Amino acid sequence: MKKLLSLALIGALFSAPGLAQEKLSMTKADRAMYEEMKENNPADIFVEEGAEYLDELGGEETLAKFLGVKEEELPKYIAGFPRYIDKITMVVAIDQMLQAFMYDRGKKPFKLKSTKMDAFSAYVKSLANGEKINIDVNANEHMKKAYKLGKEMFELRRGKRGLSCYSCHSPDVVGLRLRMQILPDLGDPKVKAAATWPAYRMTKGKMFTLQKRFQQCMKNALLAKIPLGSPQMVALEVYITDMAKGQEIEIPGLKR
Amino acid sequence: MPKRKSLIKIKPRKYRVGDIVKVDFIVIHPMETGMRKDKKTGKVKPMHYINEVKFYFNDELFTTVIPWETVSTNPYFSINMKVTGPGVLKVVYKDNLGEVHEKSKKVKPKG
Amino acid sequence: MRRRAFLKGIGAIGAVALLDIKVLAKDTKPKGKNAITFKKALEVITNGKGAKTSDKVKLIVPEIAENGAVVPVKVNVEEPIENVKSIHILATKNSNARCADVFLTPRNGRAYFATRIKLGQSQDVVAVAVLKDGSAIMASRPVKVTIGGCG
Repeated sequence: MKKLLSLALIGALFSAPGLAQEKLSMTKADRAMYEEMKENNPADIFVEEGAEYLDELGGEETLAKFLGVKEEELPKYIAGFPRYIDKITMVVAIDQMLQAFMYDRGKKPFKLKSTKMDAFSAYVKSLANGEKINIDVNANEHMKKAYKLGKEMFELRRGKRGLSCYSCHSPDVVGLRLRMQILPDLGDPKVKAAATWPAYRMTKGKMFTLQKRFQQCMKNALLAKIPLGSPQMVALEVYITDMAKGQEIEIPGLKR
Repeated sequence: MPKRKSLIKIKPRKYRVGDIVKVDFIVIHPMETGMRKDKKTGKVKPMHYINEVKFYFNDELFTTVIPWETVSTNPYFSINMKVTGPGVLKVVYKDNLGEVHEKSKKVKPKG
Repeated sequence: MRRRAFLKGIGAIGAVALLDIKVLAKDTKPKGKNAITFKKALEVITNGKGAKTSDKVKLIVPEIAENGAVVPVKVNVEEPIENVKSIHILATKNSNARCADVFLTPRNGRAYFATRIKLGQSQDVVAVAVLKDGSAIMASRPVKVTIGGCG
């Protein structure tokens, strides 16, 4: 009943799933072709650029030391971001952790907005390629709080249209189309949402981090953009990353 | 001349003399069609696209690609190459505004 | 089955269809510096001789492109490499119908080329192979471009 009601309510926004499914859906061969494109992702070049930034700061060894883990444990540790770090006294995503790392190394940190930071954080996350997301939202009070705030942000209806993340990503509407695009279930292992960001967006011809993608969503839904690295934004990343827990990290992703 | 980043990949990674390998080339370039407007200034962005990509093996030209502005942003070009021995694969690319760049990769067949 | 018949039909009714496209292009499309119709481009590429539809040109494109700005295109020409001079990718309804012209040599080993192109709207993508004797063969496939979701 609830599903029927919501279907009726958003009927004006979304087309029914049955409608022209046959004509509009990509075939298996089409999917395979797009899958193959990942092998030649233009974002590979940006990730390579990020490797240079880490090398300048002393490489993986120095980063592992900064984080207080053994070098061989670094990939697994990275697969657990966002996390609470004592040194920083905040729950941080990889980008803010790297700002602290740069500061610690006596370098001026890249701005969260900069493409340099995108490249740097994409490379560092790619160190965890093949690892499964192991975020622990019950690790401590800070993470518990962040998760709770993240859920609130996800469901908070804002702006003139009263839209929330939930409006397009609730179980009730997942699989429907928004202007021919299927609305993805962010927890679906096939979608691999949080495991594949930073990703190259073909529509924009650039690579973006997950938080930047959130901002683009907000802009399209006519909501005020939540600043990168703010507690609310990091909390949202925590919540969405938890949805993809257990999924294998694959950086850089390639998105439509 | 702005610095451009590019990448050459040879697939499969291990190959022998006599094999035909796939050579993938990606380059960061706007590939402007000259028809899009800049959202901020409202002015039409001038046409800017790669119009020649040449593949050399040990300085011998073996493939020329003439792309048009209709090729996607950050273009990808893929060709085949017969491996005749070790050497250097070089890609030289130019655009319509006169930029010229090159990228090389060693060809190291096993066996 | 129907599509196969349609594809074969393209060669036969090509002249009529192409004329329509040209008229359409004139009226609705903004013209860039490189603007050229598909018909004219094919003429230039084949030296006015035209190209015959052939099973030897294997053109792989998605039936439905999720994004017109990046459409993968792959071509394999089943002819000995010594016999193939060049491969050309064309898009029938783009204001510049040409996408890429590729000139091959025996060192390529195989007549293969892949790239990614922009399509302004749903249309046919065409691959032409010019052979050593100057004749040309081609294959054509329709690509449907869908409208994106969240920007």
